[in-house]
Amino acid sequence: MPKGLSLFFVLLLSLAAHAENWPGEQWSPGPSITGPALRALESYAFPPRNDTTRRGIRTDALLVIRDGQLIFERYAGPTSAATPHLTWSISKSLMATVLGVAYGEGRFNLQDPVVKFYPPLKKYPDMTMADLLHWASGLDWQEDYEYAPLKSSVVAMLYTRGHRDMAAFTVDQDAYAAPGQAFRYSSGDSGLLAAALKGIVGPAHYADYPWTALFEPLGIHHATWETDAAGIFVASSYAYLTARDLARVGLLMARDGRWGERQLLPKDWVAFNREPFARYHANQDDAVPGGHWWLNRAVEGAPRPWPDAPADTFAALGHWGQAMYVIPSENLVIVRYGDDRDSSYQHNELLKLALKAFGGKVQP
Amino acid sequence: MNRHSLVRRRPFSTLLLIALIALLGWVWQERVALSAFPDIISAYTAKEYCSCRYVMNNAAEYCHGYVKQWLPISGFTDDAASKRITVSGLGRSNSAVWVGEHQGCRLQP
Repeated sequence: MPKGLSLFFVLLLSLAAHAENWPGEQWSPGPSITGPALRALESYAFPPRNDTTRRGIRTDALLVIRDGQLIFERYAGPTSAATPHLTWSISKSLMATVLGVAYGEGRFNLQDPVVKFYPPLKKYPDMTMADLLHWASGLDWQEDYEYAPLKSSVVAMLYTRGHRDMAAFTVDQDAYAAPGQAFRYSSGDSGLLAAALKGIVGPAHYADYPWTALFEPLGIHHATWETDAAGIFVASSYAYLTARDLARVGLLMARDGRWGERQLLPKDWVAFNREPFARYHANQDDAVPGGHWWLNRAVEGAPRPWPDAPADTFAALGHWGQAMYVIPSENLVIVRYGDDRDSSYQHNELLKLALKAFGGKVQP
Repeated sequence: MNRHSLVRRRPFSTLLLIALIALLGWVWQERVALSAFPDIISAYTAKEYCSCRYVMNNAAEYCHGYVKQWLPISGFTDDAASKRITVSGLGRSNSAVWVGEHQGCRLQP
């Protein structure tokens, strides 16, 4: 009897292993969902679109992966399944994921000083890779886009004084705190990670590294990642992927860095991505920073950033409504591309409605 | 005493003078940001139009609407053969070029 029982469990385990879905060339379709909950989600995400006033919620793509299968996708505006959409600051989390592969290859440690890989940082010898991943360089950076264009460091970096060599522009900023001591969201910090990557993998491999390290192993064939004139990836802003391809990165993260049989990112790397930065104070930003990903965690007694989503939800977020939410406890990956020019779109609302439509567990 | 009487005799001119000095001080302090500012609209429009059109492969008409901002532009050319966008506005001109499948578009130095 015990023998038969253990055989039963072995069989069950192997069945479970076979039942794990991974995309091949395409995502396999999952059971299609219909009903009022889905209609509520669609009417929230896809209201009538006005391309003249550009007001309100303007979703370009909404795609949902559950258990490794595509269970929903819808596109609007000019965007289709074939559009490599601008991800804006989702690029930051993508750069962290590329770095995770290099970390798995043993090429650097989190406590390594960045200057080891990017010599112009000699002014700040104590700044570590972990500090940059926490957006805690201590550099005095102003991250407004449209609202304060004169003072905006990110506008200057992308379009005027910084665009030729963005990392050099960032290093020129003054410090306002010691590295690692304080959180301040900064596209400059992400750009320094991209510059450090060049020293980490070497100039000969750098230009192709995001493709060879991450995109190709995941079966992503049409990614674009723009560089500055110095050839450094614009890690803060300029990666382009189709919604279907971005979801592959989401599935990799949902499964702790494993892609099929291969542990592409070490588990401790993903754990670092998902660990709140200890020096972050509640409400400093819209979500809680981990290692270059955004977390739905309660800190200092404040409520979770997205109270209607589980606490293990984490996300990559970008300007104008770009988002990829990963909810491991629900086996869900949700990609939402948009062209929101105001703040109508709310992450919590989308997550609440998506969980009602696709969540396996009953929400409290 | 003389100073007080000047303020009394010319209160508005005095205020205006103080405001002008403050403005000049601010301009001096922000001179680097101010001199770069006029480039924003043409550089932004050239770069983001180029990526909208040649990386995301959207239609030209859509991309014109997509890059529209509150500041006006005065000139726009898209040389489709070389995938080079040149935009002028606020007295400055900037170009962006599509450089390839992997690297997309880039502002020209």
